[in-house]
Amino acid sequence: MRALLENRFAVTAVILFGIGLANMLLQKNLIKKIVGFNIMDSAVFLLLASRGFVEGRVAPIVAEGMADASLYINPIPSGLVLTGIVVSVSISAFSLALVQRIYHAYGTIELDELVMRVKKEAD
Amino acid sequence: MNKPDEKKSRWTRFSAWVNGKSVIIPEEDLFPGGDLRPAPGKKCGREFCRSAEREGERLYSFLSGYTFAAVVVGVIVIGILMATVMALPRFGQPDNPTNNEVSQRYLEKGEEETGAPNAVSGMILNYRGFDTFGESCVLFLAVSCVFMLLLRDEKNTHPKDLAQIAREEAADDSSRDVILQQVSSMIIPFIFLFGIYTLLNGHLSPGGGFSGGSMLGGGLILYVAAYGSRKIQRFFNGKVYNIARVCGLMLYAILFGYYIFTGANGLPNHIPLSIGGLILPIDVAVGLVVACTMYGFYAMFTKGEL
Repeated sequence: MRALLENRFAVTAVILFGIGLANMLLQKNLIKKIVGFNIMDSAVFLLLASRGFVEGRVAPIVAEGMADASLYINPIPSGLVLTGIVVSVSISAFSLALVQRIYHAYGTIELDELVMRVKKEAD
Repeated sequence: MNKPDEKKSRWTRFSAWVNGKSVIIPEEDLFPGGDLRPAPGKKCGREFCRSAEREGERLYSFLSGYTFAAVVVGVIVIGILMATVMALPRFGQPDNPTNNEVSQRYLEKGEEETGAPNAVSGMILNYRGFDTFGESCVLFLAVSCVFMLLLRDEKNTHPKDLAQIAREEAADDSSRDVILQQVSSMIIPFIFLFGIYTLLNGHLSPGGGFSGGSMLGGGLILYVAAYGSRKIQRFFNGKVYNIARVCGLMLYAILFGYYIFTGANGLPNHIPLSIGGLILPIDVAVGLVVACTMYGFYAMFTKGEL
């Protein structure tokens, strides 16, 4: 229990990841699936950002003549979060564009109706 | 229907889709059996109803099994992750394995090697510049793919849809929102000013190409939303847009290649560190790409044209 409380941000990230995963697996609406995917992304960003934090230190903007690593938090996870955000934005936009095309072609974005229409078309 | 025939029709359908012709296919061709859903207030033909019901039942039984499997998979994944969290080192301790000699080096030597007091900017644009170049390419490719999927023109859109879009645009132009226009005429200059400040000050303070570029893109989006696309096309049409985003990526590639070939990793290069070294011009390049990407997404999803 203490371990969970000490790593409260990681626990929150896992819960958010679970919510996103359940959304992605269980929702029938394609846009809700994409929202679930975005929630999963946020969970990963939260975990990464919390890993970089060190208690009692400040943001890694080096002040004049104070280039001492024991004063600043770890800058590497922040850079990795940036990479993640870029990929997440790109994938969301691309999948939303695909959903829009699917709606134009089939007139629905509910997955079960979509499967039935695709089957009908294939027959 | 025999196999090769089907294959051929599939191929023709696929090539039509790639060429953007699929929208023109009339509804009867898309749904050979007609619309699955019965028309409102009308009983559907017995044949359709029965086949749709049977199909639905099969799907339903599959989906109920699927739901169970999905819940099991989700619980297992969360369990594994929670077990991992129990084994993680304590949050926020200075002797955690993540705070190793790499971050120490970035913090202590970063300013004299890259010219950026902001260690994150120095890291992503200099030590890990290839990574950020890949990110810019991802953004560029994403907006190109969205263009491929959503760009509207005479070839891939029904003339009826085009006419409706033109009608809606005319209606929008004749009755623009006065409050939105007045407020945005006041705040758009400040948004652009702050975006440019963030962009150019990225090596000294929090900010940089990605955040500054997003702000510039947001300013462009607000401008289009308030004044309409016809007004922005006077200075920012599709041609300028394409030139801007290609130039951004090319500028990054050329600058970073120059930096690598003249001696990376702290060896002398020919850009003085006092003006931020390589960070400043690369930030501008990234900002161009990001701003164009944000605006491109908005334009594609709202109108399908720039």
